[in-house]
Amino acid sequence: MELKFYIESGIIESYVLGLASETEVEELEHMRKLFPELDTEVELAERRLERACFDEAVLPPMEIRERVLQKVRWEYAGAQADAQSNYTFINIQPKDGSYISVHRWWKIFFIILFILSKIFLFFAILYYLKYRQEKERQEQHPAAITFIHEQKANIFYI
Amino acid sequence: MRRDLTHISEQMLIERLALGDPAAKEVLYDRYAGALYGVVLQLVPIKDRANDVIVKVFAWAFQHINAFYSSGFRTLFAWLLRKTRELAIKEAIPETALTGTELMKKEEGILQQFYIILPASEQQVFRLSYFKGLSITTIARMLAMPEGQVNEILGEAMKAFRKFLKEHWN
Repeated sequence: MELKFYIESGIIESYVLGLASETEVEELEHMRKLFPELDTEVELAERRLERACFDEAVLPPMEIRERVLQKVRWEYAGAQADAQSNYTFINIQPKDGSYISVHRWWKIFFIILFILSKIFLFFAILYYLKYRQEKERQEQHPAAITFIHEQKANIFYI
Repeated sequence: MRRDLTHISEQMLIERLALGDPAAKEVLYDRYAGALYGVVLQLVPIKDRANDVIVKVFAWAFQHINAFYSSGFRTLFAWLLRKTRELAIKEAIPETALTGTELMKKEEGILQQFYIILPASEQQVFRLSYFKGLSITTIARMLAMPEGQVNEILGEAMKAFRKFLKEHWN
């Protein structure tokens, strides 16, 4: 019963608003240890005040959000860089998605690929020419045979 | 990544903040800045100063999130509110030094609504205590009253405040 009286005195609200004196805060902390159910009461009081203040919310100017979060982003970027090395990495590339950065080995890879493709092209042309030459040579012999066949056919028709 | 965090519980948010997750910091701001700004505007009538309070509160919160559990508060909002009021009172300057144009105090805020229903003596003590952040000793000296009496008056005001909150936001 006494606990109820203590709660109803508004001491919790006074504590939550930050109006309670040091002695009152110490007293409340002591009471919370003795009666853990007081924690629930504290939470209820905090939630009520929270709901009240949310009904009164006023959106701060956008520039404040930027000021608060820019610091966060900088600190985060700084922490990331520190974790990797002892210098700060500044990326001045435009982050619009039209640029990529790759490892330098890719350059050598592409040069080799280019040279190899030229060699293959050279051999492809060379062997194609050789093949054509060979084919032309072959066609001269079968041409005679075809001629005989045609003559035979003509005789058959006559 | 941010979108995933928007609806996380308070508990999860605190854990993420403790890990220094920048997305969690953004969520904290988006969730509480509006409600806190409303409170600040009732205490600090100058816009630039009210803005500074918000920036300072969040910078403090990001750094001291680990102290939340030992603070005695059960909710993030109450924990932030306490610091907000502390910083706002430091930023507030005597109203006599203001010109009319700088004033943007909201007259219909919940604390003003509550304040109006109090008897005159309680109004005065509550105003000096909450809006000005003065200690009981200072208020007693200002009003030429014994400290015990000031304490009693403030106690009555807090009882009424509890009733007021329970009636409207239970």
